[in-house]
Amino acid sequence: MIRQSIKFLSSLKLAVFIIIALAVLTAAGTIVESRYDAYAAAKLVYHTWMMYSVLGLLCVVLIAVMIDRWPWKPRHIPFILAHIGIIVLLVGSLVTKLFGLDGSMRFGMGQSNRYVTIPETEIQIWATFDGDRPTRILNQEADFYVDPPKENPIRLQLGQDEFVIDDYEPYVLATRQIVAGSSAKLGSAVRFQIQNENVNVNDWLLQPREGAGVARDFGPARISLGNPLPESPKENALYLNPKSQKEVEYTITYKDKNRKALKGILSEGGAVPTGWMGLEFKLLRYFPKAEEKYELKPAQYPTPLTTSAIQINFQGKKHWVQLNDILKLFTQDTAYIISYQNRRVDLGFDLQLKKFEIGRYQGTMRAASYQSLVTTPDGKDTLISMNEPLKYRGLTFYQASFEDGPDGQPVASILSVNYDPGRWLKYLGSFILSLGTVWLFYNKRKAARAAAPRKGSI
Amino acid sequence: MKMILTLCIFLISSIVHAGDGIDALQALPVQDGGRIKPFQTFANESLQLIYGKPAFKLEGSSAPARPATEILMTWILQPSAWQETPLFEINFIELKKGLKLPSERKHFSFNEILGNERLPALMQELQSKRETKEKLDPYFQALQRLDTQLFTFREIAKGAAVRVVPPRTGDKWIALSDLEGELQNQFIKVTKAFIPLLSATGDQSRERMAEAEKSLAQEVTLFRSLAEKENPSLYPSAQVIKAELHYNSFHPFKWAWILYLLGAVSSFLAWILGKSSLYKPAWLMVILGFALHTYGFALRIYLTGRPPVSNMYETVVWVGYGTVLFSMIIEFIYRWRFILLAGSLVAAFCLILADLAPVVLDPSLQPLEPVLRNNFWLMVHVLTITVSYAAFFLAFALGDIGLIYYLKNEEANKDKIKAITLAVYRSIQIGVSLLAPGIILGGVWADYSWGRFWGWDPKETWALIALLGYLAVLHGRLGGWIKDFGMMASAVVTFSLVIMAWYGVNFVLGAGLHSYGFGAGGVEYVSVFVGLHLLFVVFTTVVRFDRLQKKA
Repeated sequence: MIRQSIKFLSSLKLAVFIIIALAVLTAAGTIVESRYDAYAAAKLVYHTWMMYSVLGLLCVVLIAVMIDRWPWKPRHIPFILAHIGIIVLLVGSLVTKLFGLDGSMRFGMGQSNRYVTIPETEIQIWATFDGDRPTRILNQEADFYVDPPKENPIRLQLGQDEFVIDDYEPYVLATRQIVAGSSAKLGSAVRFQIQNENVNVNDWLLQPREGAGVARDFGPARISLGNPLPESPKENALYLNPKSQKEVEYTITYKDKNRKALKGILSEGGAVPTGWMGLEFKLLRYFPKAEEKYELKPAQYPTPLTTSAIQINFQGKKHWVQLNDILKLFTQDTAYIISYQNRRVDLGFDLQLKKFEIGRYQGTMRAASYQSLVTTPDGKDTLISMNEPLKYRGLTFYQASFEDGPDGQPVASILSVNYDPGRWLKYLGSFILSLGTVWLFYNKRKAARAAAPRKGSI
Repeated sequence: MKMILTLCIFLISSIVHAGDGIDALQALPVQDGGRIKPFQTFANESLQLIYGKPAFKLEGSSAPARPATEILMTWILQPSAWQETPLFEINFIELKKGLKLPSERKHFSFNEILGNERLPALMQELQSKRETKEKLDPYFQALQRLDTQLFTFREIAKGAAVRVVPPRTGDKWIALSDLEGELQNQFIKVTKAFIPLLSATGDQSRERMAEAEKSLAQEVTLFRSLAEKENPSLYPSAQVIKAELHYNSFHPFKWAWILYLLGAVSSFLAWILGKSSLYKPAWLMVILGFALHTYGFALRIYLTGRPPVSNMYETVVWVGYGTVLFSMIIEFIYRWRFILLAGSLVAAFCLILADLAPVVLDPSLQPLEPVLRNNFWLMVHVLTITVSYAAFFLAFALGDIGLIYYLKNEEANKDKIKAITLAVYRSIQIGVSLLAPGIILGGVWADYSWGRFWGWDPKETWALIALLGYLAVLHGRLGGWIKDFGMMASAVVTFSLVIMAWYGVNFVLGAGLHSYGFGAGGVEYVSVFVGLHLLFVVFTTVVRFDRLQKKA
């Protein structure tokens, strides 16, 4: 019986079948990744029971073949090495998967961080009864990619209140919208257009709160809302200030000192020639009280700007929460904060980003190199650059990428953090496998040579 | 090494070179795309981008094609004269339809495009796609190219993209449009000296031409020395510029493929007709071609200061190189003639491809992405993997030859078929024993720079799939189900996996961490190539099966 199953498991047909199955599965994975993203490929193909089964079966077959050849002779050595190499490699990967850590950390300029963000997602609910000091009352894994909650809503019963997660979108795009508001603390907003033959710009300006100023530069000129007029204007600028529920006051200033500033009043739809390169300024919308809202639009395919979102049904009202965003809900006596987020792992120590630099190729914005100077708790500074990681307390920190701010200057550095207890196994397996492969072909050379015609004979 | 190279450049360039005005202009250093290049390279690349060729010829005119340097100078001198000339190449038919442009034409004028009613709406859509960072489909990729073409033309015409003077501080060179004082005056003198050369086409005497050339050369030299004085430490040495001009004009890879083709023809005759007298010349051609191929690589390494395997163009040239190398080694051992034939055919094919499709395979010298810089492991991993593709390519060509024998007459060619099978087997062995360590080295490198040994990245994954494919073949042979015919057929079929790993991931899938090598175009040709070969395999299988049946 054992003899028979070993024979079956060590048959070449089964081996070739597994090799082909592995090839087909991974090929499917790359197609999923191309259409969606790496996360989808991992969830749908690479980290599924099907993949694990094929790899497990591969190990079984490799072991069975070696048992089948027992007792081993010297000529078997390369073959055994190649097969053991693959097994060690796979075991190493399993160790990494089970006990390793692979995440990322984001550092604003000069900031410290002690949490590693990993791809897994979770839901946390915090509650406060006195309006102060919220306590965490729930922390639960929330992975809906493969099993969306539409059919089987997740019910979370917390005291008398019930939260129901009843919908999930893998990819939503948040679009900023500016809408009229009613609270007295809100600022005003305008939507305007500046236009001539070559230029056509269309934009919003929103005061963060009443009385606060906001401005935007458009190359040759600046448009500003709610800012006081400078005493001696030195630049091309247009100052808008709310006047009434329907009207705004404008002042146009010029770089040219001899030119007099232009003043007037505009209401929605009104236009005024600015006198800068034939540009006309048009007031398209005006809200005396306005606020911004983010509308979530589901997208079919992911982009770097989309995230996932869940819908929470609370007391008959539905609310969408984006990943790494929070939702506040209120009852008569309790305030809840619901957070849908990537899981974070506490490193147990702080890491501080002292400095971040980008080297660019001469005369371009193309990055040639980037590096972060970080301080570890022992007070030492280390420079982490591409291909030059920091190793500290068993963890390795790599320079992964950076974030650009609106003015093209970097605002944050992103490090990837990694703890890999299976690393040595993978290296060992790779070495054994490579050795076996080369040795195997070296031996095979003689056998194949005998079957072929003589040198130069045909 | 450097000395030998310098000597070679000196020798060859002194033969070809004849000092005159246009040459001086072509050698003027320009900062563009993150490096300093001669004006000729800048002009060639710009015209290539906009017009699709490095020389311009007016449609329907009998005048000879004008080189890029002259064309770019006239853009700078008088951009308005170019507004009605069909200059902008649009290849993508859907885009032409979308813009309601006649789809049979290839080139369109500046006014024609800018005056197009549909363009603003499409450009806005492109902009919003860029803002939301959506992946662009071929239609919008074509539109993006058009956008870049228009932008580049305008920036060159304004002089803002032509950076010719090193700055006193910082590293961004000063553009023509921002020149001041003496430098500005001197450049005006250069343009004035250039004008007579344009009109002096037919009726003017030789002496006057020579004189005009001489005065242009003088003015350019003066401008150069003024520019260099601004910041001598940033100004490149004349030698580097000369090397690049030589690389541009000499076309080492073109000479290499011509020699490979000649070598292929002689080894073909030596093999098929049994003309042993042609066997030595075949070796000579291939070795000469290989020497030029090496020389071209050496030049590229000298100019970029890095191993030349960072984009599709460079890997295609590198794979051709590997194929010749392996075929020479195997041929040297077995002396069967057809191995050299297969190797030189594949190498010629690779180099011709690299020469013919500059839009898909970008031959320009580009600086490296940050992750690829200063990295020993990268070099080893990319070189090993791509060179394994060379071995598989050789197996593929040998498989084709073998299948032809099966079609011709299996019985009469038994010996040859046995020999080809062994050669195919050898090539696959070489390939596997390079690909497996190459993938592992990729893991080592990824572990070293990103902290993960294996991340299911599509490029690496497809390399693994190709490896699995060849492993299946080798195990099948071990099990005795793949015999001689199966070996030939699977060498051809399995190479499709290599094409997917090598070309498909970058150009079809377009996903993953290896995005620095991504491009677009050529999908239809590659699919036809793969499809025809698969059909060929099916056809020979059917014919052979039929014959065996009849015999039985």
